[in-house]
Amino acid sequence: MSVLSISVRPSRITGWVLSWFLFAAGISLYFYTAQRRHKENPDDRVVPTLAQLGAGIYQAAMNPDADEEPAADAASQSALDRFRNGMLWKDTVASARRFIYGLALLFPAVLLGLHMGLFPYFGTFFLRFILFFDKIIALSVLPILFIAFGIDELSKVMLIVIGVTPTIILDTFNLTRSVPPEQIVKGFTLGARDFDVAYRVVLKQIWPRVLNSIRLNLKPLMLFLFAGEMIASTDGLAYRIALLRRHMGMNIIIPYVLWVALLLFLVDLTMRLLNKRLHPWFREA
Amino acid sequence: MVPGSVTETGATQAAVHAEPAPDLLIRLENIHVSYELADGSRKKVLDGIDLEIRRGEFVSVIGRTGCGKSTLLRLVLGSEQATEGRVLAGGREVARPDRDRGYVPQKYSLFPDKTVIDNITFGPEVEEFSLLTRFRPMFYRRRKEFRAEAMRQLRRMGLHESDATKYPDQLSGGMQQRVAIAQALVMKPKILLMDEAFSALDPGTRAGMQKLIRQVWRETQTTVLFVTHNIAEAIHLGTRIVVLAKDGAESSGSKVALDLPVPGVDEELPKIAERVEAAAGHSRLDEEE
Repeated sequence: MSVLSISVRPSRITGWVLSWFLFAAGISLYFYTAQRRHKENPDDRVVPTLAQLGAGIYQAAMNPDADEEPAADAASQSALDRFRNGMLWKDTVASARRFIYGLALLFPAVLLGLHMGLFPYFGTFFLRFILFFDKIIALSVLPILFIAFGIDELSKVMLIVIGVTPTIILDTFNLTRSVPPEQIVKGFTLGARDFDVAYRVVLKQIWPRVLNSIRLNLKPLMLFLFAGEMIASTDGLAYRIALLRRHMGMNIIIPYVLWVALLLFLVDLTMRLLNKRLHPWFREA
Repeated sequence: MVPGSVTETGATQAAVHAEPAPDLLIRLENIHVSYELADGSRKKVLDGIDLEIRRGEFVSVIGRTGCGKSTLLRLVLGSEQATEGRVLAGGREVARPDRDRGYVPQKYSLFPDKTVIDNITFGPEVEEFSLLTRFRPMFYRRRKEFRAEAMRQLRRMGLHESDATKYPDQLSGGMQQRVAIAQALVMKPKILLMDEAFSALDPGTRAGMQKLIRQVWRETQTTVLFVTHNIAEAIHLGTRIVVLAKDGAESSGSKVALDLPVPGVDEELPKIAERVEAAAGHSRLDEEE
């Protein structure tokens, strides 16, 4: 039987092997390349070896930023304290703070989309503008944001707002419109008022899909956050990656990239599990 | 309860301008409904409908597909407005759906995010407690009472207590409609509007649901407006049958082609069926479409 058949499914073990194969192949290829390059040039910094990566991770996790004044009691600090003062932790906290601000700003966007979908006056007032706003390339307005809001936190948060909220507003709007009219009418016949229908009938029904939409937009959200940090910031994961690029610090850049991917994966996984746990009735299409 | 006299289309119009009877619940006055088509022309759906529904009646509305049966129901419901004419419920013009008119549609009759018990208690809860007041201790006390009443309704509909915690997608079509009826009845509406509520069910389940709704109607004396395209179902359930049909040209809207009581004598039912078939312009075989 051909493996290129729609009706043929891999066995459990085959499935496990297949799903991990590309990871194993990628890692093997990387270390093979690193070894070959280091044979030719022992000082190669483009593809660091496992030992160099390990040293880079240790340096990033346990040592503070080189620009920072070292603490007077640095030598006597515990490993946990050294980690908390390390640049990886501080950069993570700085980026996470901006990420949470950005995420929090998506909730008013959800409410706007809900009201636009349900209340015709809201929809008429906002829809055309949001449709236009959605077409603006957020990165193209970055210089304008820096001029208007300065290079501090506000401009980075505004970048996220311009980049992601129109998508969330329009997604929520469409989800609201897809709720069968029978459900809305039913709500009214059961004594619900307009806002009861909005929050207790429609929002509750679309909420798992809204969470999915937010989850799928986490990557664009991070993209805009990183763009802001790379251009104008003094801390954060993307700031560090941009800074180390100048020094060809691949032994730290690669762990940083993988760390960001891992964090995003964990946030995504948590949201998926929460969605499943909180909404047992929800079946993804 | 049946109307006092057998009325055909013209006869009801004369009665409209008389003093409203004390048991009059719904009154449709010279209703016209038309929709604008993409080419700018208008398609007539209903063309001068006059109808009165009295308390306690079980009115079956029947007609061919596209004759405007569901439009008529939505007008009474208040989810659609007539192009001309008006609908009165309890003497007041119907502007939007409200708790006085219960609704059981063919599909999407339950909230998918709520369990069976939460679907039934939704009405009483939302009516008594707003978004903010539902966090008061009083809410939790009343909630127990709502749930007890919901369980009573559930049992009346022939469902088990173990079904209370299930979500709608865990129930069969027939069970979903039983819950939908319980959900509507718990509000004690003045009229129950059922739009092809049993059409999606298999014949066996459908027969069971017909028996159930008839029994519920007898027990509660809730007025029912039942839209169906099935003649046998309409005759079996209704105390009165209203047939909607176009007269002549295809471009014309539907009128009330027949409006007559259904006698309780079984021998007369075939005759009624023949008259309904003739007025509706379709046979029972068409129902298998």
